[in-house]
Amino acid sequence: MQDVTDLTKTQLDALREIGNIGSGNAASALAQFLNRKIDMAVPSASIMNFNEIPALVGGPEKTVMGIFLKVMGEISGRFLLLIPEKTSLKLLHTLIPGCEIDSALKMGELESSCMREVGNILAGAFLNALSVITQTPMLNSLPSMTYDMAGAMIDSIVADMTAISDKVLMIETSFIESEEDLRIHIFLLPDPASLQLLLQKIGVC
Amino acid sequence: MSAVIPVGMGEMKIARSPEQLVVYGIGSCVILSLYDPKSKAGGLAHIMLPDSSGLDLKSINLVKFADTAIPVLYDALTGSGAFKSSVVAKIVGGSEMFPPTEDFENNIGRDNTEAVKKALKKLGLPLIAEDTGGRRGRSIEFDLERGTIKLSILGEEVREI
Repeated sequence: MQDVTDLTKTQLDALREIGNIGSGNAASALAQFLNRKIDMAVPSASIMNFNEIPALVGGPEKTVMGIFLKVMGEISGRFLLLIPEKTSLKLLHTLIPGCEIDSALKMGELESSCMREVGNILAGAFLNALSVITQTPMLNSLPSMTYDMAGAMIDSIVADMTAISDKVLMIETSFIESEEDLRIHIFLLPDPASLQLLLQKIGVC
Repeated sequence: MSAVIPVGMGEMKIARSPEQLVVYGIGSCVILSLYDPKSKAGGLAHIMLPDSSGLDLKSINLVKFADTAIPVLYDALTGSGAFKSSVVAKIVGGSEMFPPTEDFENNIGRDNTEAVKKALKKLGLPLIAEDTGGRRGRSIEFDLERGTIKLSILGEEVREI
């Protein structure tokens, strides 16, 4: 197992590049799904202190929609989508005919299932691209979803990755629909135990 | 306006009235509070994992783990002048934020809560209140004047333990 803090700049660049390809694929899936243009921010691959992650989405108390999926296969990890309420409502209004809810707290089973499906499609598209590059099948688990404080979700997801180090490797990007400022944040956290294999598969170990 | 001191993941803070300790966005982590009503001193430890066994204690952050955080917080609090015999404990957090699916189950919240209770028992510290489990995140304000913890939870009334 390689410690994430030992990653070189070349390795981080290669990880950012796979983030770019994965999120490119996810962005086009979303654009197709919504039939509108989606812009993608430049992805980053960075080693972050777990305490700094909530700041990326507006602080630990910021309430967001969180969709979590496990990445399964020889290369495993965690995939998290954080979606601001505004974007979530827009997605629901677009995807469910007649849906008019004005608060994420009012979501029922249909709305929840719709959001989980969005997560499924984005994670599937992202991981599909990664499977092709690494020639290693990567599957996502069924999505689990909640609407709550970003900090509370992140602590639950990173806790057991941080037993020894305070740092996690995170590939992060966001989608922006600029007309209405709709955002979706995507985080991929490879498991430390499969990092070596991932680097080997992308030719930078 | 008295000082409001935030306590991040894996951190520990000691404070004294009129100061307040706050934690934002607690998920599966467990916040242990120890309080001495006589000296109005208290501390919080932001615990992330149940067990440090098998790890090299010299190279880890002891506050992250339930079994090691409790003695560290207790020693820091009593070392700052709190009366050993009057220290009481409250715990908050330990929720499972993401509902389990066929492919995964996440029990860290429950494991953290159980581990903290076990460690408190081992030290003989009385646990006088808790607000743990469930599926919601929590934010708290620890009032060192009264030793109370105010909980804010999305979609629920503010409550105090």
